[in-house]
Amino acid sequence: MATVLELEAAGSLFKLDPDLQQGIQELRCIYVSPRLKTWIENDLPNLESTWKVELTPQEQLQAFVEEVFCPGEPLTYEWHFRPISHVKDGIWELKTADIRMFGWFSIKDCFIGSAANLTDLVKQHGLYHGYADEAARFRDQLDLTPPKFIPGDNPHAVVSNFGYP
Amino acid sequence: MPSFRISVTPSRRAAGRFVTQVRRSLQKAYAEEKKKSGLTQTDIARAIKVHRSVINRELRGHKDITVGRAGELAWAMGRVATFGCLEPVVTAGTNHFASTNASSCGAQMVPIPVIGAASLKPANNNLTPVLEAAAN
Repeated sequence: MATVLELEAAGSLFKLDPDLQQGIQELRCIYVSPRLKTWIENDLPNLESTWKVELTPQEQLQAFVEEVFCPGEPLTYEWHFRPISHVKDGIWELKTADIRMFGWFSIKDCFIGSAANLTDLVKQHGLYHGYADEAARFRDQLDLTPPKFIPGDNPHAVVSNFGYP
Repeated sequence: MPSFRISVTPSRRAAGRFVTQVRRSLQKAYAEEKKKSGLTQTDIARAIKVHRSVINRELRGHKDITVGRAGELAWAMGRVATFGCLEPVVTAGTNHFASTNASSCGAQMVPIPVIGAASLKPANNNLTPVLEAAAN
């Protein structure tokens, strides 16, 4: 059994290092699976916005990670615009307009991502449960010290400063 | 430590941050006005004469918000959109040296001061959107 930091040192997880603006502390963090790291580095830069908006999916993810998630900003001001949703079994998705990233919270404010894809593909092909199952399998296989995840669907339990009451 | 970063150029990083700041400012203003006065997306849509779905897509990030539309949306919410480009402040001991970028540009939606019984509703007032650009 190992901690997240030990799994990172062993190369089982990779930390997504946010390029925060000066004076900004990292209050939430994101670790990813080797597969998701490969996707972020190789596939994400080539994706185009399904909505044809000015920010590419890569830029959307970068802005969300560095401007909102990691600095600990309120995640949402209104339920309708929330950028995280519970899928099932403690598996959550982080959302931008074009990206869905699936994973879980090992502890509060520490997200471990398993896989991601374009929102449009996930919706069109009904891949929510498939990705959630895959994330759960990755979580089961990971030699992480229990409890491996925060159960339930309460956003306030998995992140600080969720924002919406 | 096998950490990694999302490789976005500094100029696009600045763009992403600014677009995100503007949209979140509008979402925040909308949430506050909805709570305070029951403002709906339909009210905003009526005020600026577009379909409600346009407002929804813009606030959710499924449609780009032009500078003009940011002013319109703020006005319809009873707010004033402001914008400024500030010189970066370099502070010793912070996590990195400030580079030349646009991250010090920011936008916010500030409430319009209520004087007397003046209404904030756009349908029956003479408020005009204000966009202040102070370029350095």
